[in-house]
Amino acid sequence: LDPKALPRPLSGDVEPKSLAQLYPMNCHPRFLRLTTGAIPSSQSLSSRWHLPLGAVVCPLAEPPDGEEVPIVNFGSAGIIRCRRCRTYVNPYVTFTDAGRKWRCNICALLNDVPGDYFAHLDATGRRIDLDQRPELTQGSVEFVAPTEYMVRPPMPPLYFFLIDVSISAVRSGMIEVVAQTIRSCLDELPGYPRTQIGFATFDSTIHFYNMKSSLTQPQMMVVSDLDDVFVPLPDDLLVNLSESRSVVETFLDSLPSMFQDNVNMESAFGPALKASLMLMSQLGGKLLIFQNTLPSLGVGRLKLRGDDLRVYGTDKEHPLRLPEDPFYKQMAAEFTKFQIGVDVYAFSDKYTDIASLGTLAKYTGGQVYYYPNFQSTIHGEKLRHELARDLTRETAWEAVMRIRCGKGVRFTSYHGNFMLRSTDLLALPAVDCDKAFAMQLSLEETLLTIQTVYFQVALLYTASCGERRIRVHTAAAPVVTDLGEMYRQADTGAVVTLLSRLAIEKTLSHKLEDARNSLQLRIVKALKEFRNLYAVQHRLGGKMIYPESLKFLPLYGLALCKSAPLRGGYADVSLDERCAAGHTMMTLPVKKLLKLLYPSLIRLDEYLLKAYAEADDFQSIENRLPLVAESLDSRGLYIFDDGFRYVLWFGRVLPPDIAKNLLGTDFAAELSKVTLCERDNEMSKKLMRILKKFRESDASYYQLCHLYTDKSSKIRSIEDIY
Amino acid sequence: MSEMANTDPEGIDGVRMTWNVWPRTKVEASKCVIPLAACISPIRAHPDIPTLPYAPLRCKTCSAALNPFSRVDFTAKIWICPFCYQRNHFPPHYAAISETNLPGELYPQYTTLQYALPADSAAPQSLPSPVFVFVLDTCMIEEEMGYVKSALKRAIGLLPDNALVGFLSYGTQVQVHELGFSDLSKVYVFRGSKEISKEQVLEQLGLGVLGRRPGPVGGGYQPKGVQNGFPNAGVTRFLLPASDCEYTLNTLLDELQSDQWPVPPGNRSSRCTGVALSVAAGLLGACVPGTGARIVALVGGPCTEGPGAIVSKDLSEPVRSHKDLDKDAAPYFKKAIKFYDGLAKQLVSQGHVLDVFASALDQVGVAEMKVAIEKTGGLVVLAESFGHSVFKDSFKRVFEEGEQSLGLCFNGTLEINCSKDIKIQGVIGPCTSLEKKGPAVADTAIGEGNTTAWKMCGLDKSTCLTVFFDLSSSDQSNTPGAVNPQLYLQFLTSFQNPEGQMMLRVTTITRRWIDSTVSSEELVQGFDQETAAVVMARKTALKMETEESFDATRWLDRGLIRLCSKFGDYRKDDPSSFTLNPCFSLFPQFMFNLRRSQFVQVFNNSPDETAYFRMLLNRENITNAAVMIQPSLISYSFNSLPQPALLDVASIAADRILLLDSYFSIVIFHGMTIAQWRNMGYQNQPEHQAFAQLLQAPHDDTQSIIRDRFPVPRLVVCDQHGSQARFLLAKLNPSATYNNAHEMAAGSDVIFTDDVSLQVFFEHLQRLAVQS
Ligand SMILES: [Zn+2]
Ligand SMILES: [Zn+2]
Repeated sequence: LDPKALPRPLSGDVEPKSLAQLYPMNCHPRFLRLTTGAIPSSQSLSSRWHLPLGAVVCPLAEPPDGEEVPIVNFGSAGIIRCRRCRTYVNPYVTFTDAGRKWRCNICALLNDVPGDYFAHLDATGRRIDLDQRPELTQGSVEFVAPTEYMVRPPMPPLYFFLIDVSISAVRSGMIEVVAQTIRSCLDELPGYPRTQIGFATFDSTIHFYNMKSSLTQPQMMVVSDLDDVFVPLPDDLLVNLSESRSVVETFLDSLPSMFQDNVNMESAFGPALKASLMLMSQLGGKLLIFQNTLPSLGVGRLKLRGDDLRVYGTDKEHPLRLPEDPFYKQMAAEFTKFQIGVDVYAFSDKYTDIASLGTLAKYTGGQVYYYPNFQSTIHGEKLRHELARDLTRETAWEAVMRIRCGKGVRFTSYHGNFMLRSTDLLALPAVDCDKAFAMQLSLEETLLTIQTVYFQVALLYTASCGERRIRVHTAAAPVVTDLGEMYRQADTGAVVTLLSRLAIEKTLSHKLEDARNSLQLRIVKALKEFRNLYAVQHRLGGKMIYPESLKFLPLYGLALCKSAPLRGGYADVSLDERCAAGHTMMTLPVKKLLKLLYPSLIRLDEYLLKAYAEADDFQSIENRLPLVAESLDSRGLYIFDDGFRYVLWFGRVLPPDIAKNLLGTDFAAELSKVTLCERDNEMSKKLMRILKKFRESDASYYQLCHLYTDKSSKIRSIEDIY
Repeated sequence: MSEMANTDPEGIDGVRMTWNVWPRTKVEASKCVIPLAACISPIRAHPDIPTLPYAPLRCKTCSAALNPFSRVDFTAKIWICPFCYQRNHFPPHYAAISETNLPGELYPQYTTLQYALPADSAAPQSLPSPVFVFVLDTCMIEEEMGYVKSALKRAIGLLPDNALVGFLSYGTQVQVHELGFSDLSKVYVFRGSKEISKEQVLEQLGLGVLGRRPGPVGGGYQPKGVQNGFPNAGVTRFLLPASDCEYTLNTLLDELQSDQWPVPPGNRSSRCTGVALSVAAGLLGACVPGTGARIVALVGGPCTEGPGAIVSKDLSEPVRSHKDLDKDAAPYFKKAIKFYDGLAKQLVSQGHVLDVFASALDQVGVAEMKVAIEKTGGLVVLAESFGHSVFKDSFKRVFEEGEQSLGLCFNGTLEINCSKDIKIQGVIGPCTSLEKKGPAVADTAIGEGNTTAWKMCGLDKSTCLTVFFDLSSSDQSNTPGAVNPQLYLQFLTSFQNPEGQMMLRVTTITRRWIDSTVSSEELVQGFDQETAAVVMARKTALKMETEESFDATRWLDRGLIRLCSKFGDYRKDDPSSFTLNPCFSLFPQFMFNLRRSQFVQVFNNSPDETAYFRMLLNRENITNAAVMIQPSLISYSFNSLPQPALLDVASIAADRILLLDSYFSIVIFHGMTIAQWRNMGYQNQPEHQAFAQLLQAPHDDTQSIIRDRFPVPRLVVCDQHGSQARFLLAKLNPSATYNNAHEMAAGSDVIFTDDVSLQVFFEHLQRLAVQS
């Protein structure tokens, strides 16, 4: 394979359209994407496909304005579901018997229509009230769940912050940014006026904060008994935000100064985690951990590892990517049990064992944010933005998700951040629009007799407003007997997403090399199969051919092998960064993943030089360039954007006024030490507007700007850019 | 007793003895029935006691201090120790002494004097500040919290500016307030259900490795002081000068809530008094070992959580009673005692005091805490509510300065020297044996024994100790000429006074030996019946506590009969011939009242009350202790001055007011007629001014009693036939009971009791005393 000859995905992810044309009532692909829109009719056909058969689901994906998922309240009728397979009523069910019965599209059972839901059928057999029934016309709908869908009253949104205040945390400036950001988000936390909030800090001891609304200032309560940690107050450590607002604000205002002279180097992280669990277990909610010092005291303490070169390339390599202490997985299981989702923010400048810490996010539907060697002056803005996003994005609480499908097919494995509660129920204590889940499908029978396979994703959750809801996405796909059709209907985005997750999971039980090899082998096999298919039909020689739908697959495969979780060996990516990237990629929706794998490269200097009149024509700067060395002109200024960071590439012979305008007097300095900021000239302002605009197009992460010149060896061969 | 002795029976020395003349032999002494004992008030204030600004000379053999009884050879510059006859040379700076130029310690009248000991050489000018750690129970209803908070605020306001203050609150858990943390209010929280070692306390408060002070910590009782700034980080974090933390503390108290942990219905609050006190002790041990410090515990109910628990949380299970203790049916009792005994040991080794202010309707566990309070010389006050004057006024008194001041001192050590052949059995009172062995230690111990030195972590002006003596069993050198006719006792008490100055008080007394086989006349004259009664009461209380199935009444009766047999005048087997020398005549009545008192009839009280009564009995002076045993009754009526009345129902009359002082309570009792007049408001009419004055007089007298008493007594004002009248009736001799109601005088009351009357008691006594 010659990478340079491969087609390049310069338009990013393209959602497949053909299935939607075939089944217009399917849910939008932003919610559910199948790796192929054509389901094989037999196991033998399936085995020749070689690529994973499955789906990527992003149940809470943000729809554009006007395309919000409709909310349906059945009221007294109760939610209409199939008596046998529990499928929710959807556009693919059919009504018969003059509207008194409906047939389940998944199991074909004939169900009674409850009296309150009855409607007459018109001459074509359609219900006459169809235009008032979004659940019968749209693939995505949200049902308001009655009390039988609750095991307890719906919980209020709850945010608990566990903040490291050891000396390294203090010095990094993290505490200040976190405190300021939380404070600035207080008005936007979802769920007013029910929102609950609480804080704990830790170094060698654990500090709780009594925030009772009647207090003039919070009270700090220190628990030092690490062997037998306990909660120092029954209530008031978690308070209603609107009631205790001023105490919370006082706390956040004084938090940075409270610890500014702290010289404690220890971290009682494990005990602090246990304490947080005790505190939160009654309600559940989101636990946000801000961690800086490797856990050193009490249960869950961790040691430095991964610095032994000799283990790389041996059987001892992969355990480094797994949690060292079973404590973390046990805690994660406990958290999930009590409806607690964990987000881990890690900031250390040293090894901090993301493999262990990340486990907490992995099994609780959470997320890992890693800011190696965090310094507030450099990374502050990124943390501010991402934490604010985490706090203010719409979140679904105490959720469970299940995906159903028609007879004969079955989901066999799930990949992402969640805890599997039974064979097919994903427990998601807190889930949001930035989380996607992938799953693999297999045929249960040698031969499928049905023509269409239906999929239905149901997410039962508590909305921040306190309503219990079920979000249901339904989609149909045809069953085919032709392998070619399977390839034609393939969705590269879904395939790459599923393959990424499988490959990353493989690094947890195998060497990196093995993971890469098996990924490549799989792609090669698939392409070979396709070639064989057409070689036979069209007598094509040794030429590489691929279906139009999968034309970017080889390049994405290559990019995946070069991504942080899979790339190279010991020296190529630090262990923590590798694990952090792995954790991130396990949750990314298709679009973001593809952008991370094949970032955009755009030339900016010409645009910046343009007169102001036409300046805001952003169209002209959306031309993505191939990630090859030839794309870079040393007279140019480029922006490289993988969705997580920006690299501004200053050509060696870039006109000095551009550099000067953008960088001020620092323009000649070593760029890695320069921070980009808005300067008092039109060009600089323009650049800032561009960056802002780019950022707005994708709010889930903040792209911190890194500056490079083409003298840096970092960028030479572009497709090696990471 | 002389007139002088009545007004100040203890004199300059603060010593009262059961026998002021001692029999020569152990055998004779045992025939005296009443033990040889001295009740000493080691630091009682007296205007005639001089203070010398140096340390005393000590005998090189027995280390007794130079005293007026030493024989001095002025030419040879030698003094002879009256205890061991060692000849000691005066040091050079005594070179100028002569018969006309005596140092204070040799003045014959200065049998008691005080030395202000030079401070540590390191920092002579900085005296240690007194340290107060308040430990506040928060398992209380709002109302009680309010009372106790305002009492605390007032107390803190009264503390001297340099006093160091610490604060702990507790309920289900213990909270140590870091008063030195300025950003916001900060507490260290300890689990209440788990025993915690001193080391764990230090570790968890962050006073461990880093904070541990260098040099010896345990053992030494010499105050190290707070020299050169603070010796330990904990002092700046947890113990702050009162002037610096008063505002913080007031704010903290304003916001302090009662314990927030829910109490299930039918349950007691979860209250971890034991752990709280452990933590307080650990804090003090880390911060100020060897410096005078007190833990002031304010307790509102029983400990139900963790070590020191006295009862389960289940309300259906009552707190142990004397009956339960008797039947060994108090499952928590022994464990709790063991816990508090350990706490006492820790506190004593640190030189710190435990004070307990308990206010509750039910018991709080004073019986269990007693060991720690008494061994450290702590104060104890038992009240029904923190709003009650018994608590409020007593608590205030602790912190007041000036005339009313209790004169709280710290870190006391008592040493006793005595003449050869005198053995010390032990001490009853607020102290701990230091286990200092020597030839003067008796074989059998009473109370804190096996020593000639005792630790008194806390002591004050009124602290009183009872020392029991025995005589050597080896027959003394009977060569009459060589025998000194005088015996000597020397009490040396060193202590840290309220200003932080180390003082040493030396009292040396002498008494005469007599050969009682020849004549008991002198012996009889030297008998102090009031002291004897109190000593018997104290010994009885101790025996009741320590000896299983001890029958106090029987033991007292037997002793009294033996005493009367020995010292009474009678013809054998002729009860009517029986008379007692005036030196003994009051004693039987004391015993009669002691038998009926709360000290012997414990079943009428709770174990907490009993422990409380006993602690006060043991630490008060003879006069006060005598009132506890035998209350005083004063009668007020028209046309006569207030006069003592017989402690008998017969003293009740419709036109009299009675004032009963039983130490713990004072009852003003209005006769029926008086009450009627008062109700009609005669006292407000100008023509009945005399009545107004009559009404007022007992109240004025009560105030003067209350002013000098700690704890402040409970005041009951009642009328004849009123429900409160029982407080008086309970203390009166049942000369008229329902057994002989038909004989009763008109206007008096009947006491419904099975007690025998004094008269019947005497009849029995006479009969038994004369039996051959
Ligand atoms: Zn069905
Ligand atoms: Zn001597």
